[in-house]
This record gives sequence, C-alpha cells and structure tokens, in this order.
Amino acid sequence: MAMIRNRSRHRLVALSLILPFAAIFALVFAYPVAEVVRMSFTDAPLIGGGDWVGWDNYARLLSDRLFYTSLKNNGYFVLLTVVPTTAIALAIALAVNRLSGRMQALALVLFFTPYVLPVSVVTQIWAWMLDFQFGVLQPVIEFFTGKPVPVFKNPNWVMPAVAVVTIWWTNGFNVLLFLAGLRNIPTELYEAAALDGATRRQLFGRITWPLLWPVTALVLTLQLILQLKIFDQVYLLSEGGPFNSSYVLLLMVYREAFQLNNGGYAAAVSLVLFLLIVVISILQFQILRIGGRKS
Amino acid sequence: MTYKAFTLASAVAALLAGAPASAQQTVTWWDFLSGGDGVRMKALIDQFNSEHPDIQVQATTLEWGVPFYTKVRTSAAVGRGPDVMTYHLSRLPLGLAEEVLTPITAEDLDTAGLAEEDFFATALDAGKDAEGALYAIPFDIHAIVLYYNASYLEGSRFLDDEGKLTGIESLADFEEALALAAENGAESPVTYATGDDGGTYRVFYTLLAQQGGTLISDEGEILPGDSTEKAVRAVEIMTKWHQEGWQPEQALYEASVALFTSGKSAFQLNGVWEVPTMTDLEDAGDLGFDWGAVEIPQLMDQQVTWADSHGFAIPVQGDAPMDPEKREAVMTVIGWMEKNAIQWADAGHIPAYKPVAESEEFAAMQPNATYASLADRAAYDPRSEIAGVASPAYDVAINIISPAIHGYLSPEDAVEQMKAELQSRLR
Repeated sequence: MAMIRNRSRHRLVALSLILPFAAIFALVFAYPVAEVVRMSFTDAPLIGGGDWVGWDNYARLLSDRLFYTSLKNNGYFVLLTVVPTTAIALAIALAVNRLSGRMQALALVLFFTPYVLPVSVVTQIWAWMLDFQFGVLQPVIEFFTGKPVPVFKNPNWVMPAVAVVTIWWTNGFNVLLFLAGLRNIPTELYEAAALDGATRRQLFGRITWPLLWPVTALVLTLQLILQLKIFDQVYLLSEGGPFNSSYVLLLMVYREAFQLNNGGYAAAVSLVLFLLIVVISILQFQILRIGGRKS
Repeated sequence: MTYKAFTLASAVAALLAGAPASAQQTVTWWDFLSGGDGVRMKALIDQFNSEHPDIQVQATTLEWGVPFYTKVRTSAAVGRGPDVMTYHLSRLPLGLAEEVLTPITAEDLDTAGLAEEDFFATALDAGKDAEGALYAIPFDIHAIVLYYNASYLEGSRFLDDEGKLTGIESLADFEEALALAAENGAESPVTYATGDDGGTYRVFYTLLAQQGGTLISDEGEILPGDSTEKAVRAVEIMTKWHQEGWQPEQALYEASVALFTSGKSAFQLNGVWEVPTMTDLEDAGDLGFDWGAVEIPQLMDQQVTWADSHGFAIPVQGDAPMDPEKREAVMTVIGWMEKNAIQWADAGHIPAYKPVAESEEFAAMQPNATYASLADRAAYDPRSEIAGVASPAYDVAINIISPAIHGYLSPEDAVEQMKAELQSRLR
C-alpha cells in the first residue's frame, strides 16, 4: 500500500517538474509548428488568415526554379563547411591538447573568441577585410590570382568565401567539444600502447580516433543541422547574389514572407527545409553510428 | 472606503491631474528618414509642435526598407500602427495589396487645406491606385540628377561662359565628355553605386525609360515587346562604361559618393539627396572644385528620369476606423508639412506641392531650381507589387544587373535571367 502511494507521489513530483517545460515547449514550439503546417496549406499573407488551397503551395514549390537553386546552394554550402570545419577543429584540438596550463588556456581563448561575436560583427569584419577597394586581404588574393577579386560579388567565389567566414566564426565551439572528448580518453591507454612500442600514427589510429568517434559524430551532426540553416551570413554579405549563386532556402523563406507578403508559401518552404533537416540529420547520425561500431 | 478603492481613486485623480486641461491630440508618426533628411524632418516636426499647442506629433524613426514596410503591415493589421507615416510612392502597390492604407478623401484634403491641382501630376498619380483613388499625399519628388565637377571640363565645349555644364544632348556627347574627363585625369569619370542595388537600379531604369521601355506593364508582363531589347541596350551602355574604365568597379554607395566629393570623378549619377553633402562641403571650404547638378540630359530618345516620392499615408487602425478628431489632426499635420516644404527642399528634394515648388524662395535655391524641370518628366517605378524601393526589382539590380555590367554575364543573358526572375515573383 505504502509503496503504491509512494509511486503515485513519485509520478506527481515528476509531472510537476516536467510541466513547466512541457507548457513552454507547447506554447513556443509545438503550437507555432502546428500553425506553420496549417499555414502552408493556405494562401495566407504574413498577417491574418488565408483560404485553404490544399497542396498548391507545395506544387508551386516543385516548379519553382529558385527552390532548386536554393536547394543546390544549401547542399554546396554543407559540402564546403561540415567536413572541413570538423577536420580543422579536430586538428586544432589535437594541437591545443599538447599544450598545457596557461598556454592551453590562451590558445583556447584565441580560438573561441570569434564564436562569441555576433554574426553582424563577424560579417562586418570580413566584409572590411575582403573589401574590393580597401580590404587588407586583397593583396593576398592578388598574389594568387593576379588581380583583386570582389569575393562576395563573384559567382564562383561567393559560397566558398561565406564558408570560410562561417568556419572561422563557429570553429571554436567544435574545438571545445573535441578537447573535452580528448580529455575523456584515459591516459593509461596511451601509456600501455607506448610500452608496446606503438608509433604516433598508431596511437592516433587505434586509440584517439575510435574513442573520439562519438564526439566526431556529434560534431558532424550538429554542424550539418547548423549549416543547413544558413541565412545570416548570406543575408549580410551577398544578399543571395550574384545570379542567385548564394541564394539559400531560408533566404527564400525570408523574402517570400517579409518582402512579398506570401505567408503561406513561405511556410511551405520552411516546412520543407525543416523536414529536410530532420531526415538528413537522423540519417547521418545513424550512418555515423553504424560506421563507428564497425571501426 | 476600502484601501483598494482608495488607491484606485487616488490613481485616477493623479491621472486626471496630469492630463492637460484642453483635449490635446497626439499624432503618432513613423518615418524612415535618417541622415540629413532625418535632421530636417525633426526640425519641421519640432516647429509644428511649437506652433500647435493642441496637436503634438510624436515621431519615431525606423529602419528604411523592408523592415519599415514589414513593421507597418504587421502593426497596422492589429491596430498598433502609427496615425501617419512617410511612404515611398513606389511602394504604394504593395501597401494597396496588403490593404494597410486608408483612402484620402476630398474632405481630408479640405481639412488639410490642400487640393489635388496643387501637386505635380506625375507625383500625384503615383499616390493613387489603379482606379484613381488617392492613398498617399506626395511630399517631394526625388530623382537622380547629373552632378558635375567643372574642373575636368575646363576649356572644353561642355562648359558655357558661366562655367555651367552644357552641350550634352546625346549618349555620344556624354561619352565624349567621359573620355575627355579620363584624359584630364579623372579616376572614374562617372561614378554611381555600381556594386549596390539602388545605384545600379536607378541608372538602369533611367536608361530604359529614356528609350520608352517598360519594366513591368500594367498587365504584369515583364519587359513587354521591344522593351527587352531596350533593357539589353541599357545594360550594354553600363557595361561599356565599365569596360572603358569610366565608372568605378563594384563601388558601394558611400564609396561612389566619396569618389565625387574627393574630386576623383567628373560626373556623378546620384539622387538629389546628396545635394546637402555638396553644399555643406562647399560652405566649409573643403570641396576644392566648382560643381553643379542638372537634370539627367537626354541620352537616348526622350528626356525622362527615374524618380520617386516620399509621401504621407494614413494606415488602417486594425478593424476600427480612426477617430474623426484624430484624423482631422493628422490632416492638419500633413497640410502644414506641405506648406512648409521649402525647408524639406533644403535636403535636395523638389517639393511636390506646387505653391512651394513655384515660389520665389525655391527659385532662389540652387542647384534645386536648376533640376526642378525634371518634375514634369519624372519616370516613376512601374505600378507593381514587385517594384519600388527594397522590392524584387531592386534585388534584381544587385543580383543580376550589377554583376552583368562587371562582365560576369552578357547583357542578353542578364536581361533574360532578369525577366525570368521577376516573372517568377509575380503571382
């Protein structure tokens, strides 16, 4: 009897602890998501209701050239950032891990500082550094290409340039994750392996890499989600141009909703992006887990 | 009396004591005017407030462009918008489609002491919907003009005896002047914001309109008929200026202005709103050359110039109509502003209100009076939801025209892409 009462009491306590979160989640996430789904089937403007149009918005999406351009650019951007940023962060973490004490702290601060900056500051810094007329990096570009390049106005340069800015900006956080992962690897393993005469390469390949894999998989997944959501940097640096070569899905959502007042269509685009992120990230995480188990 | 009732009563009493004796109208005003425009508008509002004890204008300045119009739409829909706001007439079609504007009736104009005949027809038309109902009262006409630096033209046929620009009557004349300026050491003989949306759009639209081309027809067709070829021609001209090294490469707005003010350009194609910059520099003795500004010459088949207007509009107040007394106060504010527009002209603009534009005071204002002739030949943006300030038409300028004139795409392909792009934005 007493046990049963205790259990129901337990449940009550648990419920009351969960409730605040559940309520807030329902209010600021579940409800808006449900509204977006509903809106995507209407021709609603940004404010106010609209008429039910069924699958029209989605049909229109499939025939919208800009949608495919944006999709392609999102994919291109993911290719340009996700694996490179993970590799760079791992390399930096390995290097920083070999430092000790204050030097390590200093190195960490240096790599982490960009992450603290707001996106507008980051883009402003890079826009100045890469400015076509006065940018301090233009002589460097000129050295390699023979002439200054307006990087955010050149269809071939714009996406890689935005990718470089993004990697510089967000890398510090990944370094931190990797460093935490590295610290979790027991040093005895390295000592034992060293006694057995393992080389540096073997230490990395047989101990560090497999034990770090869960962190690597996490970083890759987080990056994938983050980079699929690219918007701010493109909006601030290139506005989607030139020739739509940096037009991405979220920019499309923004323009449709706020500039053209097509709330329903914008909702449909954002929902497609949402589903895309969910599906791709679940797929990726599963594949990475399987890959991790094999090795 | 309970404690609760007591506090309530004292709160009410305090409120009543704080309120002025007479019924005073507070007019909430939103604008997007910054820089020199903003300073002049604030001065006008302050003067209005001091002259009208019964009406107080409470002004807020918001960010120009998409943020402003988004905010107006969302706030007006729920009745939390302003009582009066500035509005680009080129953006009127979107405002009409969104149903955020209220029509301005003949009685409203009476209250303000204004009449339709008092305004330049080009500007007034831009403030009306397709059926001819007035939704925004034009305050000014602002266009691009041709600024010139006389020092590069000295001794040539392009200056008259008084040192004023003359002799540019065709594209060939203008390009001859550009070549001459280049010879005389001008770094960029003609400057405009080649790397920005506004600068590129305005020059393109002027060149298109001077050939009689239409960007978007009333039926919603993009570059109908031979307008396509005319658009190609316009892009070709801008591309040529780039290839000859006559215009700056990828110049952002500020850089394009700096090229002219620092004396490195012989000409500038830019809005009248930069006139105060020039007069201020000249007054401070920092300019170092003689300058002037004239209406864009006839380079193509006819003399017209891209133009837009700042106007006043009254947004809807949610579902409720505006209190008639409040509306009267709003119209009083608008009427007063129009009649005092001479101070606004100081910012380079041409008053849309003819009694001011034709006054002796304005005639004495230079260079405004020189280029005021453009008011009758103003080419406003097409009447379309996707045209006007901060619209897809501007996006196309930065996305397609600007890179094309820098050689990343041929004029023909650029115009094709532009058509497809704009067509896809039309529902």
